[in-house]
Amino acid sequence: MKVIGIGGAGGKIAAKMDSENAILVNVSQTELDKVVGGGERIVAPIQSIAGQFRGSRKEPQIGLEAYRTIRRRMLENIRGAIVFSSTGGGTGNGITKGILEDIVELDEHAEGGHGLPIQDKTMFCLLLPDDSETREYVENSIDFLSDTLAGVIDKGCTGNIMLFSNKLKFADKIGEDAYNQMIVDSLNVFMAIPQKNETMKLLELHIDQEDFAAYIAKPYFNHFCYFDYDRTKDLGVQIKANANSLLLPPEEAIEVMFLLEVPPGQDHTMFYDIMQYYSKLKSPPVYSVVENPALQRPFLTLSMLYSRKPIEVLEEYNQKNVDNKDAIVQRSINQYVNLQKVAVDMDDEAKRAGAEKGINSEVLNSLRRIGKL
Amino acid sequence: MARSAELTDDLFQDQLNRLGEGHFQILCWCSMSEAESIKYNITNCFDDLKHANITRTKQTAVSIVETLWALCYVDIREERNRKNIYITSHGAKALEKLIKSNRYTVKKSLSMEDLKS
Repeated sequence: MKVIGIGGAGGKIAAKMDSENAILVNVSQTELDKVVGGGERIVAPIQSIAGQFRGSRKEPQIGLEAYRTIRRRMLENIRGAIVFSSTGGGTGNGITKGILEDIVELDEHAEGGHGLPIQDKTMFCLLLPDDSETREYVENSIDFLSDTLAGVIDKGCTGNIMLFSNKLKFADKIGEDAYNQMIVDSLNVFMAIPQKNETMKLLELHIDQEDFAAYIAKPYFNHFCYFDYDRTKDLGVQIKANANSLLLPPEEAIEVMFLLEVPPGQDHTMFYDIMQYYSKLKSPPVYSVVENPALQRPFLTLSMLYSRKPIEVLEEYNQKNVDNKDAIVQRSINQYVNLQKVAVDMDDEAKRAGAEKGINSEVLNSLRRIGKL
Repeated sequence: MARSAELTDDLFQDQLNRLGEGHFQILCWCSMSEAESIKYNITNCFDDLKHANITRTKQTAVSIVETLWALCYVDIREERNRKNIYITSHGAKALEKLIKSNRYTVKKSLSMEDLKS
């Protein structure tokens, strides 16, 4: 699967995801040069020469204008790709916005109006800022989620959208590189589902590359998680306890996929419990069960597709933004300084002038004392 | 004789007109020091002129003092390897006139305050 990284944050993660072939896109060659790994690098030149070196300065409009200069190349590459981008900065936000607008257009005209074929759907991994990050990041993300993404979700023309969040990074004080690696490692667990089906002994059903491609081509948010499965505990409780903290929490699942890996010789029929759990929720899952000789305990990789109005995702950001703005207003009020009224008292001024004169008479007295006058 | 006195007065006034703030302050400082029985030398003079933002070079300080000496407004005496400055009666008259003219304001002498404390 082709991997594309847009902007600073998206580029770094994409280069980790595919250190040889990831396509990295940025408005600044300098920024691109900073990214270790990856393959083809696409510079989206913007009109200002300074902009080439300064990036898009957290302005999505600059990213969007830059996208227009590489539009043709990007549209060739995004078909069937996985795109990493952050919503906070200018480059990722702006270029991704351009891509999404074009995808809507492509989808309307593709296959005689039947929409883009499964293999051409693009999966998006969006990195949302923590609500404590720079105000511009939060505001850019609000604009992106409420405007661009909302429109695309209504049209249903993308593949899965994964909403990664920087919340855990800030809460646990994790360095950027380590956090990016966590995202990549986590995503690789989910993306390895078809490969495990190919390489491990199948015990129940089969999720092949086509099944997996069809699943990730669905235009929903994807929350995946993985954990050691304990058949004695309620699945709902286990999912809650092991929700992927790198991703935003899920809503009620519309579709579900799971891969259950069991150690050799263990009863694998526990998968029926999982099936029953989702049957009750009226979301019969796509699944398979394989034997993994490296395991001691059953391991479940579970993906839930859910639909969520971006406005709900926004609530937290909006509240934080309102709080931040209130704090700024309060600080401005606190900084307002009442200028002290300075009244000039002519009597005092006269006394001060008199004192100045006093030093003159002191000099004259000195001269008389030493007998020079 | 009257003519001669008139000329002297004119010359004295012209001399006064050409005196700058540096000359005025030095005359003040050395007279006040003398009244306090404090020796006031060229180095003190330079320090005070610097502090009063009148000059930053020693050459200028020396030249101001030499001018006052040339006009007979001050005496310079070599005492214990220091060139101490004393105001003369001509200098006192000049200073009196300058003070009464309100042309300059007396500034503090840092050296004198240091020596007093």
